[in-house]
Amino acid sequence: MRSKLTGMLAGIAMTLASGTAAYSQELTIFWAEWDPANYLQELANIYEAETGVKVTVETTPWSDFQTKAFTEFNAKGSAYDMVVGDSQWIGAASEAGHYVDLTEFFNKYKLNETMAPATVKYYAEYPSNSGKYWSVPAEGDAVGWSYRKDWFEDPKEMEAFKAKYGYDLAPPKTWAELRDIAEFFHRPDEKRYGIAIYTDNSYDALVMGVENAIFSYGGELGDYATYKVDGIINSEQNVKALEMYRELYGFTPPGWAKTFFAEDNQAITEGLAAMSMNYFAFFPALVNEASNPNAKGTGFFANPAGPGGEQFAALGGQGISVVSYSENKEESMKFLEWFIKDETQKKWAELGGYTANKAVLESEEFQNATPYNKAFYETMFKVKDFWATPEYAELLIQMNQRLYPYVTAGEGTAKEALDSLAADWNATFKKYNRVQQ
Amino acid sequence: MAAVKTGAEVAGNRIAIVAVLIITLIFLAPIYWIIATSFKPRNLSTTIPPTIVFTPEISPFVKLFTKRSQLREQPTQEQLDAAPWWERIVLEGGEKVVRDGKGNVQWSAYPNRFMNSLIVAITSTVLAVGMGTITAYGFSRFKVKGEADLLFFILSTRMLPPVVVAIPMFLMYRAVGLNDTHWGLILLYTAFNLSFAVWLMKGFIDEIPKEYEEAALVDGYTRMQAFFKIVIPEAATGIAATAVFCFITAWNEYAFALIMTNRRAQTAPPFIPSQVGSGLPDWTVIAAGTFLFLLPVAIFTFLLRNHLLRGMSFGAIRK
Amino acid sequence: MATAVIETLDPKSRAASRGMSDIAIRNLFIIPTIAFLIIFNIFPLLYSLGYSFTDFRASTNAPANFVGLQNYRELLNDPFIWTNFSITAKYVIVSVTGQVVVGFGVALLLNRDIPFKGLITTLLLLPMMLSMAVVGLFWKLLYDPSFGIINHVLGLGTFEWLSNADMALYAVAITDIWMWSPFVMLLSLAGLSAVPKHLYEAAAIDRAGSLYTFFRITLPLVAPILMIAIIFRTMEAFKTFDLAYILTSQPTTEVISIRLYKMAFQEWQTGRSSALAYIVLIMILAITNIYVKYLNKVKER
Repeated sequence: MRSKLTGMLAGIAMTLASGTAAYSQELTIFWAEWDPANYLQELANIYEAETGVKVTVETTPWSDFQTKAFTEFNAKGSAYDMVVGDSQWIGAASEAGHYVDLTEFFNKYKLNETMAPATVKYYAEYPSNSGKYWSVPAEGDAVGWSYRKDWFEDPKEMEAFKAKYGYDLAPPKTWAELRDIAEFFHRPDEKRYGIAIYTDNSYDALVMGVENAIFSYGGELGDYATYKVDGIINSEQNVKALEMYRELYGFTPPGWAKTFFAEDNQAITEGLAAMSMNYFAFFPALVNEASNPNAKGTGFFANPAGPGGEQFAALGGQGISVVSYSENKEESMKFLEWFIKDETQKKWAELGGYTANKAVLESEEFQNATPYNKAFYETMFKVKDFWATPEYAELLIQMNQRLYPYVTAGEGTAKEALDSLAADWNATFKKYNRVQQ
Repeated sequence: MAAVKTGAEVAGNRIAIVAVLIITLIFLAPIYWIIATSFKPRNLSTTIPPTIVFTPEISPFVKLFTKRSQLREQPTQEQLDAAPWWERIVLEGGEKVVRDGKGNVQWSAYPNRFMNSLIVAITSTVLAVGMGTITAYGFSRFKVKGEADLLFFILSTRMLPPVVVAIPMFLMYRAVGLNDTHWGLILLYTAFNLSFAVWLMKGFIDEIPKEYEEAALVDGYTRMQAFFKIVIPEAATGIAATAVFCFITAWNEYAFALIMTNRRAQTAPPFIPSQVGSGLPDWTVIAAGTFLFLLPVAIFTFLLRNHLLRGMSFGAIRK
Repeated sequence: MATAVIETLDPKSRAASRGMSDIAIRNLFIIPTIAFLIIFNIFPLLYSLGYSFTDFRASTNAPANFVGLQNYRELLNDPFIWTNFSITAKYVIVSVTGQVVVGFGVALLLNRDIPFKGLITTLLLLPMMLSMAVVGLFWKLLYDPSFGIINHVLGLGTFEWLSNADMALYAVAITDIWMWSPFVMLLSLAGLSAVPKHLYEAAAIDRAGSLYTFFRITLPLVAPILMIAIIFRTMEAFKTFDLAYILTSQPTTEVISIRLYKMAFQEWQTGRSSALAYIVLIMILAITNIYVKYLNKVKER
C-alpha cells in the first residue's frame, strides 16, 4: 500500500514539481534569524567574491529554530550543508549521526590552540573530554548585562543610594549588590523598574537566567560525567541562587513573565529598567542611537560574582557543523578552512560576529571596538553550559516546569522546586540508562 | 414587513445600527493599530504611553523589502550623502543594506515569499473548491452507500492535531521529493480545506431544487451538461463563500509552511514574524509585512462580498 | 471504503443512455476526493498508530522497541496531562461560547437593512484574515502592561493580562473570540436571512413576544448552520496552539497542543507523542460525533 502510494505521489511530484536546476557551486548555512546571521551573510559574500561559490545563510525565527533544524536532520534532509547549531544540540546531533565528525579537521588546524578553551569545550567536543569534535566554534556568546549609566551617574541617585545602602552606586560586583541596585531603582510610581531578567519558559530563556545565578553562587546543575544530580542541583547554594532570582523577579517591570532577549533589550531602549540581562550578541542594537535612544547612557558589565566570590556566566553561542546528509560536504569543508583563517576571523569580528579565535579576542583592537567587547572577552573565559546529552530537551522542559511557578508566582519554595527537579532528572537519566538508581 | 413600521421598530433599528457601528469600531481597533504601526518611525512603535498621533512614514516598507544588518556606529555624513533615498532610510535607522559578493543589493525574502503565497493559496483554493463542489454534488444528488460515514470520514480529516501529522507527512514528502515545492504545500492545503469545502458546498447544493436539473435532462441535456450549465451557476454564490474561507486558511497557514518548505517554496507567514529575531524587534516592519499581506485576502473578500451575503443565505435554508 | 461507493444505481436516472451514466459521474465526482483524503491521511495515521506502541524517538538511530500500551497507560496516569486537558476543556468552552454569543449577536444586529452592509460585513471579517502567529504577536503588544494600548485606553494602569495566572487563559480566549467571532457571524447571518419573513409577520399578528419569536422561530431555523459553525470552531479550539504558545507561558494556559508540541518537537519522544495524539484525536472524534448526531436531529425537526 505504502509503496504504491508513494509511487503515485512520486509520479505526481515529478510531473508537477517546478524543476529548479541545482547550482553546483552553492552552499546553504542554516541559522536563526538575528544580527550575527546577517553578519555571517556579509562574510559569506566575501567568500563568494573570492571563490565564486555562492553561500546563502538561511534563517528562521529563534522560536522555530530547534524544531526546524531537527525535523530536517531526523528526516536526513539535505537542504542544509552546514548548520550553526546551539551548544546543547551537540550530544543529540552527534549521537544520531547528523553532524560530520570534524576531529581530524580540528587536529589538522590545531583549533584546540587557536580557539578560546570554553568554546572548544562546549561548542565542539562531545562527549566531554573525549577528544572528538563535531563543530567549529563560530559565534561565541554568553550572558552579560547592560545598564543605564546615566541613571547610575546621576549625583542625586548616587547620594541617595549611598545613604541607603552604605556603599557607592556602581555597576554591581556581586549578586547582593545587583539585588540592592534593582531594589533601589524599582519605582513603579515613576514607571521605572529595577531589573529585566529572562523568564520565558518555552525554550531555554528562564533556565539560562537561573543558571547565571546558580553558576556564580558556585553551584552546578549536576555531574556531567556521572549524571549524578541529587545533592548537586538541589544543593544549598543553588537554593540560595534560585531564591535570589525569585527576589529579582519582584523588581521587574509589570507583566515580566514571558521575556527573553527582545523584551530585555526593550527594557533598556524604552527606559523601563535600570539593568538588563542579555546575551552579548544582542548588544549591537543598544549602542546605536537609531535603535536605542538611550545609547549614550547605556553601559555594560559582566555577570557579577556570587557570595563565595565565584564568577561564571551561562553560555550561549554556537559552533558551525557540517550536516552528514549534505551533498556538498567537500565544498563545505573548504568553506570551513577559509572560515578559520586568522584574517577571516578578524574580518568576522569586524563585521560584528563574536569570533572564538583567541588571538583576535585578545587583541586591543577587538576589545576596544565596542563598549561591551571587553566584558565579553572576560566572560568567555568563565562560562558554563547546560547539559548537552541527547535528552537535554526533556531536562530543559522539566526544569522550566519546576522553576517557572516558583520564580514568577512564588508557588512553593526554592528547595521544593529543586528537590522535585532532582527527582525528575534522575528519573530521566534512569530511563535512558545513564544511571542505575 | 411590508406593513408600516411602528415608531418602536424604527427606534429599534436605529439602536441596532449604532450598536453595529460601535462593535465594528471595536473589532477594527486592533487592525487599525497594526496598520498605524506599519507607518510609524521605529522609535514610536513601543512607547510609554503608546503613541497615537504621529507623522506617517514609509520607512517600514523600505526595510521590509531589503536585507539589512545592524550597525554599531552612526553612519557618516558621506555615507548618507552617497546613498540613494531608500538606502538613506535604512542607514538612518541604524542599519545597512547587505550587498552580495558581486556588490548587488540583496532583497529581503519577503517579495519572493509573497509570490509563493499567492501561487500556493490560489492553486489550492481552486483545487479544494473544485473537488469539494463536485463531491458535494455527488453526495447531494446520488445515493451513496454509507453516505453518513463517508461524510464523517471527510470531516475527521480535519481533526488530527497538525503537530502529529507533521512528522510522518514530512517523511512521506521527503520520500517522494515533494518537500520544499509549491505542489507539496498546494496538495497539503487542498487536503486540509477539502473537508470544509465538501461540508459547506453540500449545504448549498442541497438547497438547489432537483427539479431544475430534471427539467434540463428532459430537454436533452446530459447529466454533465446539467451539472455545468444549471447547478454550477446556481451554486456560484456558495462557491464564492467557500473560496473565501479556503483562501483565508491556505493564505495564513504557518506550521506546515515552516516545516515542509525552505528557501524555494516557503510562504510568507513564517517570514513575517522573523523580524522579531534580531536584538530588538522591529514592530514597524512586522506590521508593514502584515498589512501588505492582509491586502490580497481583504480585496478578494471585498470583491465577493455580495456573493458572500447572498450565497450564504441561499445555502443555509432547508426545504 | 472507496469500493462501497460503486454499488447502487439511481433508479430515477434518465440520462443513463446519454453521455456518462449516473454511476460513472457519481464515482468520478466522489472517489477522487475520498482517495485523495485517504492518501493524505492514512500514512500519517498508520505511522502514528504504529509508533504509539513503541518507545521510538525520531531523533535517534536507536531501533523502536515495542512497549504495548505503556505509553497510553503512563499518559493517562500523568497528572500534568490531565491538567492540560482540563485547561483545554475550559478554553474550548469559554472561547467557543464567546464566539457564538458575539458572532450570533452581531449577526442579529446586522440582519436588517443597514447602509453599507456589504462593506461593514467585510470589515468585520478582517480579524479572521490574519495569520494566527501575527495575531499572537500583536495582541501580546496590545496587552503589554507598559506599551500596550488596551490598558492605556481602558485606564487599567499596569494590569497584567498575560502574566496573571488566573487571567491569562481568558486573555487568550478574548483574542480568539476577536479573531473568530466573525466566522460565526457570517454563517449565522446566512441562516438568519434565510428565515422566511412571513413567519415573523405571522408571529407579529399573533402578538407574540420578541423572546417567543426568537426561541420558537429564529433559533430553530438558524440552528443547523450555527451547528456547523460550532463544530468547526470546537475542533479548531481544541487544537489551539499558536495563540496560547505565543501570547503567554503561564502553566495555566498550557493547552494540550502545547504539551503535544513539546513532546513531539522538543523532546522528540515520537512514540509517546503519537499515543497522546491518538488520545486527543479520539476525544475530538467523540465530541464531534455527538455534535453531528445532534446536528442531524436538528435537521430532521
